Amino acid sequence: MTLTEMQGYAFFFLTVLLVVILYGYILHLYRSEKKGEMDYEKYGKMALDDELHNRPVELNPKVKNEEKEN
Amino acid sequence: MQSNAALEYDYSVAKLYMWTTVIFGIVGMTIGVLIASQLAFPELNYLFGEYGTFSRLRPMHTNVVIYGFTVSGIMVSFYYSAQRVLKVSLAELPLINLLAKIGFFAYLIAATFMVISLAMGITASKEYAQMEWPLDIAIVIYWVIWGVVMFGLIGARREKSLYISLWYYIACFLGVAMLYLFNNMEVPTYFLSGGLGAWYHSVSMYAGTNDALVQWWWGHNAVAFVFTVPIIAIIYYFLPKESGQAVYSYKLSLLSFWGLMFVYLWAGGHHLLWSTVPDWMQTMGSVFSVVLILPSWGSAINMLLTMKGEWNQLTENPLIKFMVLASTFYMLSTLEGPIQAVKSVNAIAHFTDWIPGHVHDGVLGWVAFMIFAAVMHASTRVFKREIYSKSLLEAQFWIQTTGVVLYFTSMWIAGITQGMMWRAVDEYGNLMYSFIDTVSVLHPYYTIRAIGGLLYLIGMLMFAYNFFMTATAGRKLEQEPQFRSPMA
Amino acid sequence: MFHWLEKNPFLFAVGVFIVIAFAGLIEILPSFTNAARPIKGLKPYTVLQLAGKEVYKKDNCIACHSQLIRPFKSETDRYGKYSLSGEYAYDRPFLWGSKRTGPDLHRVGNYRTPDWHANHMWNPKSVVPASIMPAYKHQFKNIADLETAYAEAVTVKKVFHTPYGNDIQPSKAAFEKYYKTTALPEALKIAKAMKNKDVLAMVQQGKIPEIVALIAYLERLK
Repeated sequence: MTLTEMQGYAFFFLTVLLVVILYGYILHLYRSEKKGEMDYEKYGKMALDDELHNRPVELNPKVKNEEKEN
Repeated sequence: MQSNAALEYDYSVAKLYMWTTVIFGIVGMTIGVLIASQLAFPELNYLFGEYGTFSRLRPMHTNVVIYGFTVSGIMVSFYYSAQRVLKVSLAELPLINLLAKIGFFAYLIAATFMVISLAMGITASKEYAQMEWPLDIAIVIYWVIWGVVMFGLIGARREKSLYISLWYYIACFLGVAMLYLFNNMEVPTYFLSGGLGAWYHSVSMYAGTNDALVQWWWGHNAVAFVFTVPIIAIIYYFLPKESGQAVYSYKLSLLSFWGLMFVYLWAGGHHLLWSTVPDWMQTMGSVFSVVLILPSWGSAINMLLTMKGEWNQLTENPLIKFMVLASTFYMLSTLEGPIQAVKSVNAIAHFTDWIPGHVHDGVLGWVAFMIFAAVMHASTRVFKREIYSKSLLEAQFWIQTTGVVLYFTSMWIAGITQGMMWRAVDEYGNLMYSFIDTVSVLHPYYTIRAIGGLLYLIGMLMFAYNFFMTATAGRKLEQEPQFRSPMA
Repeated sequence: MFHWLEKNPFLFAVGVFIVIAFAGLIEILPSFTNAARPIKGLKPYTVLQLAGKEVYKKDNCIACHSQLIRPFKSETDRYGKYSLSGEYAYDRPFLWGSKRTGPDLHRVGNYRTPDWHANHMWNPKSVVPASIMPAYKHQFKNIADLETAYAEAVTVKKVFHTPYGNDIQPSKAAFEKYYKTTALPEALKIAKAMKNKDVLAMVQQGKIPEIVALIAYLERLK
């Protein structure tokens, strides 16, 4: 097998793989939202409520939060 | 992380980069207007002796605008908005904050030496990678510092998920790091020759066609990861924040991200159509350039739809004007690019003025407009002052829009005219025009382009004045505005 | 299934890197072994020509001139045979350019003389009345940096095995010898063909101005 052929096969299979992953991701996004597991649109709020005292959309559990949650 | 009633976001680094954005903007665009005028009026080549010729100044224009103005603007936006979407202040992380400041001064020094070395004609001669190896090393150090700051901030975040803007900043960091390193692989000649010649001189690791491949793999993706990816990061934060509307579809923004990441890197081959690189790479470059329309328009349409139901803001708020027109220009240039990447069109367009025309509707209309809007929006929060003048901002918008339109229309006509004249043959199959005929015919278009550029520069100066006055004399704000930036 | 991507910045960064490195891995790296073979009979640049290439880079001729003739009849009629990959095997960096404000130069050595170049650099309008190219008079005064060019030849010989002879050695003495016995006579030939008295006098005194090196390089482009 020549180098160019190997490049061709590598290109083809990796592209197929990445396309499958991308479409899997699309499916995942819409399905998990439909099932009610996730609400992706709430992340849009991260740009809007971005004061230090605003409550995070999802609190990072690694942060030891001594602050009073309100 | 102690809770502290007075804890605020720390904008000191963002503030520093704001000043360099303005200064490099003025310098870069002034040189741009000068070299545009030199093409119409060649006598202007002799203003500064051997340092003032078109050829010597042109890389200075591109480098100052890319690495000075644009990178500064990106850093303003990063140091302003990353803290906010992560809900962690730089003031809480003194070490990271110090590193960010060191980074700024490293940047300033590297940029100064870049200008000096380009003026002296010290160059590796690869487009947008002209700097010689000592400066390359400085840039790598700077970039690593930025990465440490970014991941340091992310590590201390209160928000569990990363906002889409941060996805784009991370991609910008990784993409530029990888491409820059590969493209700037060079061997310093001084050390290998036993100390002969200039110490800063180097020779590229790659030769001929390979060098071209790596260079345009870089050149094209410098556009991707400096002019597109971080600018999308800017618009995903500043447009929603300024308008008070959440991103139209967060899911679409995630999908466009992965689409853009995958497709963009393949499109580099379109700079080398009809050259000596293997045919399949050329075809691949062509095909992927066309596919690239999808993720690009995904982001742009997402931005425009964010304004749904709030279009009245377009008439009331000049910052929204800048950002909406920027997304429109983004759509225009991401459609124009793929058209030029089609092999038959490229045969006419390549080597002509249509290419600089394409670049400039992207950078003037999209990149710079977004940076203006972001800096202005941020300055009300950073300086806790009202924007000095709304009418000045409005005037700047219209003057610069006119400038951009003059610029790209004249270059479209010039490019296609020249491309057609180069290949025109008479009835016997002989070339109809000598080369100089195809240059002389461009004079009116070069003049129009210089006028367009001048208008844009005037707008830049208005912006600089407006920014300076906002920082020093704008009306003090009692409270940080939530969405719309207040302006007088 | 994909939540790790959205919550873990490290894995996310790795994912992005794989996706963006993918094109380079498949497209760029493998072909490196192939495209770098020189065509038959191609000689490496002489040191004088290399110094000329540095002048070409320094005054950034690449801003307006390409060195790539595309395979169209209109281009081969105008500039000569279309360019081949193997012709660039010793070009570090490549100088194809991306804009033709002026004509292509890949085969300019075939149809211009040193005399023409000298007049053109001194005052472009004297040979092309409508030219918008600036004059490069400083090239007639500045001395070409042959030592750096020699260092470049030494480096590419060592690192990339570019076929230079034994007169290219990493020492100051070897350079001085090369300068006297090889570079100066080569420069003298160009200077004589240029028909410029001042330049000729300079070369006869043992100094090589930038213009001579540049013309040596341009003459090589065939």
